[in-house]
Amino acid sequence: MDVFGPNHFPDTAMAVQRLTRVLVIDDDACIGAAIQAILARRNCETEVASRAHAGIHALESSNFDLAMIDLFLPGMSGIDTITHVRRISAIPIVAMSGFRLHPSPGSQDYLDMAVRCGASTWLRKPFSPQQLIAAIDRSFTEASASQGLVQ
Amino acid sequence: MKKLATENLLIGAHEDGELPIKRSQAASEVVAAVAHQLSGPLTALLLYVGDINLACDRLPIDENERRSLKTTAEHALHEAERACALIQQIAEACATPLPGAIALADGRDIIAWWSRTTAAAGRATDVDPVAANASYRLLTPREQEVLQLISQGLTNKEGALRLNIGPRTFESHRARIMRKFKAKNAAGLVRMVLQVDQTGDGSRTRPAASPEPCHANSEAAE
Repeated sequence: MDVFGPNHFPDTAMAVQRLTRVLVIDDDACIGAAIQAILARRNCETEVASRAHAGIHALESSNFDLAMIDLFLPGMSGIDTITHVRRISAIPIVAMSGFRLHPSPGSQDYLDMAVRCGASTWLRKPFSPQQLIAAIDRSFTEASASQGLVQ
Repeated sequence: MKKLATENLLIGAHEDGELPIKRSQAASEVVAAVAHQLSGPLTALLLYVGDINLACDRLPIDENERRSLKTTAEHALHEAERACALIQQIAEACATPLPGAIALADGRDIIAWWSRTTAAAGRATDVDPVAANASYRLLTPREQEVLQLISQGLTNKEGALRLNIGPRTFESHRARIMRKFKAKNAAGLVRMVLQVDQTGDGSRTRPAASPEPCHANSEAAE
């Protein structure tokens, strides 16, 4: 018996309740696995891609409600990945990073840059379940707000 | 200030000179890499423990048991949060490059930086072709010959016979090659050598797993 069962959490009133499928693009397998475990108990299916192109392929070939993208990926940077994903889809994107790196002193950091390139919001690692849920919530609000602007 | 403290701790307080600058750059990259690598497992830990803590409130067990389990979960969460705060501090300290330190000009540099730091933290998931080629260029002509024979599957004895040298000499060439490629074993060496562009025209320096360039200034290799 799963004593934890789905829908036993105080956060189920939030956007996470509307989620059915999430894509995580992160080369660190433990992040994908942890997000998968957390969301599974909230009735949400998670697919994990460890490379940008695999993630983009998954987005092109099936439907997701949300994408969580790490900014430091091998092969193609997270910023480029977000730019590309934004071209093919309007889904909420959460940019993740363990860093607030500045390209040069005094400039914008990569998390802000990610948002400028189309991410709906960002989430700094390490994050707690509450922070994850809050970021998902925020990404839905932001994504629908920017869609409203387009229309 | 935190940055200086971290660096001084690692390399001693060097103020000037090219070597100390290089060493401090290397040390700071290793620190950044370790912080970056740790952020994954720590995030996972925080997620798991945090979720268990949330679930404790809803467990169908008697009140005493629930309370003691909740205490355990809260302690675990507290420790996880402490570790996370520490790693964020370290990441923060390495976040803004000093003048002349880690230059991160564009996406291309991020990826190069990522490759270097991942390798530095010893958790490289892919072989970096740029590093493999750089290592290959460090080989002497003799070492290149030896490498050629190793990749043909020859044993130390067979290779030594082929080159007309002693097996111990062949072995020492082999050891130097391993060191130059930073390979821990023959399998690691093979993985590196597969990425080496031996024609020298750079046509194979693009990572094998790299996707098609998706817009003009996006791609890193080359």
